[in-house]
Order: sequence, then structure tokens, then C-alpha cells
Amino acid sequence: MPAVRAGSSPFRADTTMIRFENVTKTYKAGTVALNDVSVDIDKGEFVFLVGPSGSGKTTFMRLLLREEAPDQGRIWVAGREIAHLSPWRIPYLRRNIGCVFQDFRLLPTRTVFENVAFALEVIGRPRHVIDGQVPQVLDLVGLANKRDNLPGELSGGEQQRVAVARAFVNRPLLLIADEPTGNLDPATSQGIMRLLDRINRTGTTVVIATHDAGIVDQMRRRVIELHRGELVRDQARGVYGYGT
Amino acid sequence: MAVSVEYVTRETATNLWRNRLMTVAAVLTVAVSLSLVGVSLLLRQGVAQATTQWQNGVNVLVFLDAQPAAPAAPTAQQLTIQQQLLQLPYVKSCIYRDQAYDLAEAKRLLDPSAASVLTAGTTPASWRCVLSQPSEAQAVAKQFNRFPGVAQVQYPQKQIRTMETVVHVLDAVFLVLAVILLLSAAVLILNTIRLAIFARRREVSVMKLVGATNWFIRIPFMFEGIVQGLAGALVAVLVTVLLHVVLDHFAGHNATSLLYRMRTPAGDVAVTAVLVGMIGVVIGAAGSAIGIRRFLDA
Ligand SMILES: Nc1ncnc2c1ncn2[C@@H]1O[C@H](COP(=O)(O)OP(=O)(O)OP(=O)(O)O)[C@@H](O)[C@H]1O
Ligand SMILES: [Mg+2]
Repeated sequence: MPAVRAGSSPFRADTTMIRFENVTKTYKAGTVALNDVSVDIDKGEFVFLVGPSGSGKTTFMRLLLREEAPDQGRIWVAGREIAHLSPWRIPYLRRNIGCVFQDFRLLPTRTVFENVAFALEVIGRPRHVIDGQVPQVLDLVGLANKRDNLPGELSGGEQQRVAVARAFVNRPLLLIADEPTGNLDPATSQGIMRLLDRINRTGTTVVIATHDAGIVDQMRRRVIELHRGELVRDQARGVYGYGT
Repeated sequence: MAVSVEYVTRETATNLWRNRLMTVAAVLTVAVSLSLVGVSLLLRQGVAQATTQWQNGVNVLVFLDAQPAAPAAPTAQQLTIQQQLLQLPYVKSCIYRDQAYDLAEAKRLLDPSAASVLTAGTTPASWRCVLSQPSEAQAVAKQFNRFPGVAQVQYPQKQIRTMETVVHVLDAVFLVLAVILLLSAAVLILNTIRLAIFARRREVSVMKLVGATNWFIRIPFMFEGIVQGLAGALVAVLVTVLLHVVLDHFAGHNATSLLYRMRTPAGDVAVTAVLVGMIGVVIGAAGSAIGIRRFLDA
């Protein structure tokens, strides 16, 4: 097993996308969800976050989005320290991060186009920008022909593509996905992963928390493994690994 | 931060329509409570109007013979009258109102046709006296009515004093009722806003996720509350103005009737209307702001 990469290299804001420095997060109930985690993720990287259930993957994501603040340690995203971010700046942090979830989180009464447009509309983007960017990103995810359908009229894979489109439409620096294929069959999952890979190749940093061993083993990208809140493995071109 | 008018209008209209029953309840409560506020303000203005002469505790008006030159200060004879008045043990103080002041007051109190013949030169100046024993007003009148240089002595009719007490009681009752109803209106608005947010919690969570600012999320909901408050206030303004018009009509031209003396100038009614409108907006904004707070803190 390769050596665990310690987050001790000099911090370079121009190439570092995410930096966790001795981050500890304890929930109110007393659960230590992350314990002294240090890790660097560079701009443009594609990273899998793996680990058994309850190991702290979702907590890692929630800290990035500043849905939670760490108890100890510091976190940088795109050169800005966010552990002590003042609340009014949090929305602006989130505009740089697209996110995708296992349950898609689409709005059932809005069409595909409106769901994607919503993400731009509510951050105050003008109509002409919306009308320009939404069709482009729907093209990218291959749903141009479903733009006027409601989410309920789409398959799970298609719904997740809409969610990816919504996460990417604002061209975020960072895209995070928490078990994006958790509800999808293997073939559909592969399609979603290929899409995320394509987005990564536009320069967007991608971090995916997943239990999908097949895909991790097949794609051979950097793998960060958490176990009971501790970082136990950080491997370039890694495999899913634990339990085998 | 750019919040487009189109966006706010569309979201507000959708929310109001979805919760229309609650909306109607909230609007009606605001309307009833603000009508009470409006009527009570109107009453206050009417009483102030009818009792202008008797404000600041004045119990006796000693009108003096009018001087054609309408001097701004009391003449020697008038000062003597003041000294005589103050010698009475129950007269506490007497202040001087010159002829110009009394003319302005008469113009407000009298029927326009009667007031139009008055000039500063023909309107009497007055000593306005505060008594330690108001019941002695009649005695003052008796003693000074035929005094040289005195035109007439007046003291308030019992009517006015009774009206004052009745109206003050009514006023207090109305205000207490209005405050209670205003509070329930605020709670109703708060509740409609909570329902509206609850119905849209998915939207709100997606908005937070993609980086909408709290103000952006808040504005349509606050607007909804303000629209409810304002709609209720408009109904209340209508009720108040209508009541004013009806009372004015019944007051007719009988200068001795109480209603007539309570006639309130249109300008004062307009101030009341604006005040009622503003209270409506404040209630709506406050109710919705409290309703939203819990959802945005998380
Ligand atoms: N809001 C919370 N309050 C209290 N404890 C929490 C909360 N969220 C997570 N936890 C606890 O923190 C630990 C880490 O949870 P987390 O959701 O980060 O794990 P995970 O790796 O995403 O697991 P899974 O693979 O099942 O999604 C777990 O023990 C969990 O019970
Ligand atoms: Mg999780």
C-alpha cells in the first residue's frame, strides 16, 4: 500500500483547489465524523473519495460547501480560507462549487430547462445569459431533446444528467458529487461517470464520493480513502480497495 | 445583487394564489384591526378639533372688547382685568391670546359663512384661565361678564366634558382591540409565509445550494407579507374615509352640534390614511420576516 500523502507541502494558491489542514469535525451527538484530516487537491484533479458507510465522506462535502464548519483545522477552497467565512459570503463560495447528489434534487414542477435555468436565475444572472448557457449545457449532457419534459418523465440516469447540467451551468471551479450513481444501474452509472470525466477535462476539479468499486477500479484515478473519520489512504491511479 | 421585478412578481403571485384561504384570512384581520385604528385616530382628531379652545386645562375664556388695531400685546385695561382675575383664589393662571390667534381659531370652529365676515380687527382677544377648581367657572363668568372691557365670558358646556370622557374610554377600548387584532394579523401573516416556504422548501434548499443570497430567497416571501398587509390596510383606509364622509354629511351645517364641531379637515384624514397604510406594511413585513427567519438560519 502506497504511503499516505500528508498535506504538508507548501500551500500554493495558484495550483491548489482544496486544502484541508488538520480538520476535525465532531457532530453535536458526539460523533467524530472527521479526525485530523489533512489533504490537498490540485486544480483540475479528478478524485474519488471512498470509505465504508459512516466514514465521513458526506461530512467532507458538507464542509466544502460550508453547510458545516469544522471544530478544528482550516479549509481552503480556491485560495480562500472557508472555515471562518462570514455567513453572508457563503452563497458566493457556493457559486464556485457545483454539486450533485444521489437523489438528484430536481424540482418536480419545473421542466428540464427550467430546472437548469433556476440555478442561474436565483443568483441573479440576466435572461440573455440564461438563454445562452442553458441550451449549451443541455447539449453537453445529451438532453437537448428533453428540455421541455418534467423530471418525472425522465429515467433516473436522465434525471441525474439534468442535475449534472444544473451543477455545471454556472461553470464552477469545482464539482462535487456525493454518490451520484447510488440509484443507477451499472450501465447508466458508467454514462454519468463519463460525463463527469468530460467535465473534468474542461478544467473543472471533480471530487466524487462513491461506493461503486467497479467504476473506481476501472477509471484508475486518484483515490482518497476515509475510515472512521481518518484519512487512511491517498493513492494516485488507485483502486477501490478496502474490504478486499 | 440583481433581483428582477419579473421574478419577484411571479413568485409572489404564485405563493399568494397557492395559500389563498390563509391570505384572505390574514388580509381580513389586518383590515378589521386597521379599521379600528383608523376610526380611533379619526375620533381623536375630532375630539381635538371640538375641544381646541379647552386644551391645556383651560376652564374659562374671558373674551375682551375687540380693538380695531388688533394689538399683539394686552392693553393696560386688559392687564388690569388679568390682575383682577388672578386675585380670585381659584384662578391659577391666565394666558393671553391676541386677536389674530382668536380669528384663526374661530375660522376653524365656525361655519365658513359665519367666519367669513370676521376680521382680526373685529375678533376679540382673550384671557384663557386655568382654575384650581373647575366648578368655579360659572362664578368667574358671573363676576366678569359685565366688567368694563370684557365682551363675554365662556366656560365649557357639560356636553363637551362628557364627550371627552366617553371618547377617551372608546379610544382606549379601540386601541386595545386594535393592538390585539394587529398582533393576530401579524401571526396570521407569519403563518401564511411559513406555509408558503414549507410548500417550497425544495426550491429554497436548491437555492441555497447553488448560492442564492439570503436576501434573494427572502424578498419574494417578504413581498407576499407586505402585499397582504397593504391589501388589508387599503380596505381599512376605505372604511375610515367612508366613515369620515358619512359623519361629515350628518354634521350638516348646525354649528352647535357636536358632530359639527368634530369635523376633521381632509388633510388630517389623509394623514390618518397614510398612517394606517404604513402600519399595514410594517405588520406585513414584520410577520413575514419572523416567518422566514427560522428557515434561513439553518
Ligand atoms: N447531522 C449529523 N448529526 C450527527 N451526526 C451525524 C450527522 N451527519 C453525519 N453524522 C455522523 O457522522 C459520521 C459520518 O457521517 P457521513 O455522513 O459523513 O458518512 P458517509 O461516509 O457519507 O457515509 P455513507 O457512505 O453512508 O453516506 C456518521 O457516524 C454519522 O452518523
Ligand atoms: Mg454519505
